[in-house]
Amino acid sequence: MRNPWGWAALTGFSLLFFVFIYAPLFVIVGYSFNSNPVNMMIWERFTLDWYTGLFGLTERVMDPNSRAAYIESTDQMIAALKTSLTVAAFTTTIATVLGTATAIALARYRFRLRGFYNGFLMLPMMMPDIVLGIGLLIFFVTLGMQLSMLTIVIGHCTFLTSYVFIIVQARIAGIDPALEEASADLGASEWVTLRKVLLPQLAPGILGGALLAFVISMDDLVITYFISGTGDTTLPVFIFGMIRRGVKPEINAIATLIILASVVIAAAGLWLRSRKTD
Amino acid sequence: MAIRRQSAILGLLLAPATLFLGVFFLLPLLIIALFSFLTPGLYGGVEWSFYHWNYGRIFGWADGIMEVFEPVYLRILWRSLSFAALTVLVTLLLCYPVAFWVSRLPERSRLFFLFLITLPFFSSLIVRLYAWLLILKPTGFLNSALMGLGLIAQPLEILYTPTAVVLGMVYVMVPFMFLPLYAAVDNLDRAQVEASMDLGANRVQTFLKVVLPQTLPGIMGGAVIVFIPSVGNFIVPDILGGAKGLMIGNLVEQQFLSARNWPFGSALSMVIMSVVLTVLLVAVTRARKTGAGHA
Amino acid sequence: MDSLLEIRGARREFVTPEGDRIAALDGVDLDVGAKEFVTLLGPSGCGKTTLLRAISGFEALDGGTIRLGGADLTALPPFRRPLNTVFQSYALFGHMTVARNVGYALEVAGVPKRRREAEVAEALDKVGLSGMGARRPGQLSGGQRQRVALARAIVAKPRLLLLDEPLSALDRNLRQQMQIELKTLQDRLGIAFVFVTHDQEEALTMSDRIVVMRAGRIEQIGAPRDIYRRPRNRFVAEFIGETNLFPVTVDRVEGPTALARTAEGVELLLPAAGRKPGEAITAILRPTDFTLADKGIPGTVRSAVYLGSDLHLFVAPAAGGPEIRVTARDGQAAETGAAVHLAHDPARVHVLEGG
Repeated sequence: MRNPWGWAALTGFSLLFFVFIYAPLFVIVGYSFNSNPVNMMIWERFTLDWYTGLFGLTERVMDPNSRAAYIESTDQMIAALKTSLTVAAFTTTIATVLGTATAIALARYRFRLRGFYNGFLMLPMMMPDIVLGIGLLIFFVTLGMQLSMLTIVIGHCTFLTSYVFIIVQARIAGIDPALEEASADLGASEWVTLRKVLLPQLAPGILGGALLAFVISMDDLVITYFISGTGDTTLPVFIFGMIRRGVKPEINAIATLIILASVVIAAAGLWLRSRKTD
Repeated sequence: MAIRRQSAILGLLLAPATLFLGVFFLLPLLIIALFSFLTPGLYGGVEWSFYHWNYGRIFGWADGIMEVFEPVYLRILWRSLSFAALTVLVTLLLCYPVAFWVSRLPERSRLFFLFLITLPFFSSLIVRLYAWLLILKPTGFLNSALMGLGLIAQPLEILYTPTAVVLGMVYVMVPFMFLPLYAAVDNLDRAQVEASMDLGANRVQTFLKVVLPQTLPGIMGGAVIVFIPSVGNFIVPDILGGAKGLMIGNLVEQQFLSARNWPFGSALSMVIMSVVLTVLLVAVTRARKTGAGHA
Repeated sequence: MDSLLEIRGARREFVTPEGDRIAALDGVDLDVGAKEFVTLLGPSGCGKTTLLRAISGFEALDGGTIRLGGADLTALPPFRRPLNTVFQSYALFGHMTVARNVGYALEVAGVPKRRREAEVAEALDKVGLSGMGARRPGQLSGGQRQRVALARAIVAKPRLLLLDEPLSALDRNLRQQMQIELKTLQDRLGIAFVFVTHDQEEALTMSDRIVVMRAGRIEQIGAPRDIYRRPRNRFVAEFIGETNLFPVTVDRVEGPTALARTAEGVELLLPAAGRKPGEAITAILRPTDFTLADKGIPGTVRSAVYLGSDLHLFVAPAAGGPEIRVTARDGQAAETGAAVHLAHDPARVHVLEGG
């Protein structure tokens, strides 16, 4: 039915599209191994200096002629990574509980404010990061709350609850309500039905929502940027700061590691999903 | 639908999120609204008195003593809106053919390319933008490559221009446009396309009369999802845009982190928020109408 | 018969999205005996499913009562009602094994594991699925899932089992086999079944009594034979099986037979008992009640459909009026356009009072 030339053109365009998406990432990876620190775009030779530099394995000298331009501080970077992981762990837990509970309430109960809740739960996700970020900043400062890891977790939970809500809601929509009726029919109370039938059925959706929440929390820049204060910085904010102070070859190394980590996480997510389908 | 009594469990399920979002989402938004009408203090901070010149500075009324109307703010607002609109347009034009292509692939390769599209969701925004910084720099990948090939003599100046900003936004927003589009295209009943051609419509007519109307909800969905984060974006212009690429998000950031004029920053945020809420409202009412029409 | 289930004055209203009120149940009274197989039959939207869900507790009644073995169930939530349901979609729990599905009612009731296992094995045995306990519902065929749903619903030994169109997802052969098995199982368990279907053949095959419903009301309750041979009104007559309805006026009564005539002049013989000349009635004849003969109603075959064992004819009466449906036995040749005569036994005619 399709004309072959049209299809070939479409295929060509689509493949270029994927090149557009992935080429920039390969540029970073490629140049993270380039030894030329002055113009990173001119290939000199293969090196692991920028990686070893990241981990403080190489003696670094504060000498402008030295190859290893000093990266802020390995300790700072490790601390930022730790903060990111801690924040993401807490955020994921809280947002998953809040989002799942609300999704169940909206899908399985009829009540007067249902329509309102549906819109309200979407709003944090749709609100531009910067508005939410400065709103939280003013709120915390007005309340006299010290900006810290706690405020970051709170900030992340607001919009990630939305994400989990949407993922879990989509999953519930695919579950036959007759399952819960069957459970009630067989003598299980509302609470037992929730625990023994609905939650196990929802598990893949909840897991998916949690994974998404974790990944977005790890990656959030804007909101964290406003409410992280001086003490605790997350990895994206740390890298943002480095980039603003100028391009350094070590950033390529960090960026490559982050790309690697995200590919691993995405593959794990995919694997989880494919395992759930049987 | 099952009957459910409004039980204690319903309360238990709703209370945590209600409480949490009420305090940490609604209150902060209300506080922005409040701050946007307060008087900026001389050395940062606020005075708790009513003050409407924050908006005056943006929209054209100013007392001329304390605050002056600066048309630059309206220009930057206009630029933000047009950059966001342009981002929507470009992502749409890029994604629509690809969504079509992917939906027509055999199962295995379809899943593979869908995976490739979703992968950027998992990878870092800041890293992806940084890549473009490397590529667009005067001594960057693009210029090195083009000059190496002898295509240009002088490095192109793309970085720190509006082009770079829109390019960057397109790059980070592409998956958000792609997924709703793909869902719409994939939902399309292929037999309807064949029926249209069978009834004598050519490819263009079939596209305009059958395919486009039925994928419109996906297009609208993608447009909203891309437009909203674009209009208030400050990271992309911060990294890739110069003075000419400045957007309203950058203004807000400046007011909070360097100028320390929180009330004015709040007023600017209120402007972003109203744009976003307007877009959402229009989208939702439209979706309701067409949804009712289709049902 | 002492009744197990007693429904009195059941009413339930729905409000449509357009704001209209629709009575899904409009004053329903029904008794079901302790070992009876009762089928709720009717077109979609007649209220049969609402009635079933009211019994199981998933729809609240706006009025009326439901009693089981004398105890009032009306206000009880589903999980406190001592009856079980086989769902249309089976509603098997995909995350549990077959054995855990079947044992679910016992599990939530806190029955110890050892006893539970014994009862699960027994229930699986009853439905012919011994040894399948370790499988997952996803690995079973449609018919096997159906049996698991059945085993799950009988494991707690309810006195009443509700079945919501449980056979509708099965293909024709399996459906007929399951009809027989269900009936046998009901006899063996000695409990009451309330079965919902829109398939009249299914209802006729299995039921002790059929409840024909329309627009939230019961039109007729009776044994399959009664419902088929002696429908109370046009709706029941037309809903159950194929029917010829003749609005006729009684012409004269001669001994045991009366002669009646349609407005067009088609003549029918019917039992004389209670007939008076000049009376307007509706005569009902099933297609199988006619035979092709030398005498009788003259007509022309308009179309003939061959259906395996017999031949379905549509015959236009020479006098005029609607075509008459006739089932001729195989071997009786009648081609389109052939002139035929339709004879019938007067005793087979069922009469509805009124025109």
